Amino acid sequence: MTAMICPSCGIEMNHHAEKLVYPSGPDEMSAVDPALGGMIEELYTCPRCGSAAARRAEPARGG
Amino acid sequence: MTEPARALFVPVLLGTVRQGRMSLPVARLVVSELSRRPGIETELIDIARLPLPIDDAGQAIKDPTFSAQMSRADALVVVSPEYNHGYSGLLKHALDSCLEEYIHKAVGVVGVSAGPYGGTRGIQDLLPVLRELGLVAIFWDVNFSAVQTVFDETGALRDQAYLPRIDKFLKELVWMARTLRHGRENIALE
Repeated sequence: MTAMICPSCGIEMNHHAEKLVYPSGPDEMSAVDPALGGMIEELYTCPRCGSAAARRAEPARGG
Repeated sequence: MTEPARALFVPVLLGTVRQGRMSLPVARLVVSELSRRPGIETELIDIARLPLPIDDAGQAIKDPTFSAQMSRADALVVVSPEYNHGYSGLLKHALDSCLEEYIHKAVGVVGVSAGPYGGTRGIQDLLPVLRELGLVAIFWDVNFSAVQTVFDETGALRDQAYLPRIDKFLKELVWMARTLRHGRENIALE
C-alpha cells in the first residue's frame, strides 16, 4: 500500500480506519469488491497536525 | 521541545429547524459549558443555517463549510429533539451529507422533549445511525424533559440540576475525544 503523505507536514499519515461504502450508481459497480459487497474507503490522519484524508482502496484482485 | 497541544474542537449541532424550537437554549447552554473548559474550542452549528437542498440527499449535497467543520471536529454534541417519537428528519439529512469526516470521532447526544422522557426514544433511534457514520457514541446522555419549563423567557436555565449532568456528559465526551484523537493519529489499523 502506498503511504499517504500529509500535504501540510510532509510526513506519513496514520492509516486508522477502513469504511465499507456502497456504490451510488451503476458507474461504480465495477469497483465493488464481491466479497465485501461494496468498496473500501481508507481513512488517514496526520500525527502532527491532525488533518485527515481519505482514498478509495484498490479493489482486491482474485485469482 | 514539545509542541503545545492542539485544542480539541467540539462543535454542538442543533438538530432541528422548527420555528420556536426549545432546543436552541439547550444548545446554547451546552456551548457555554464547553467554552468554560480549557483546551476546548466549540461553536454552535445550526442545521437551519446549512444550505442543504431537499431535492437530493447524501454526500452529493455536501456543504463545504459543514464538511470542513466536521473534518476539524474531534467530537460532536448532537442536540436532538424528539418529534413523534423519533429524531428530526432534517437532522438525518444534515448528518448524511458527510461520512469520512466523522470516522473515529466521539459523539454525545442531548435529548430534548416537551414530554417527560427527555428525548430518549429519539436518542435510541439515532444511535445506530451515528454508529454507521463511524462516530463513537459515549454512554452519557443529557435528557431535557418538559423543556418548556427548564428555561425562563430570557433563555436562562431555571433548574441548576442540569449543570452537573452536563458536566459528567462533557467529561466523558472529552475523554473519548482525546483517546480517539490519539488513536486516529498514532494507532495504525493492522
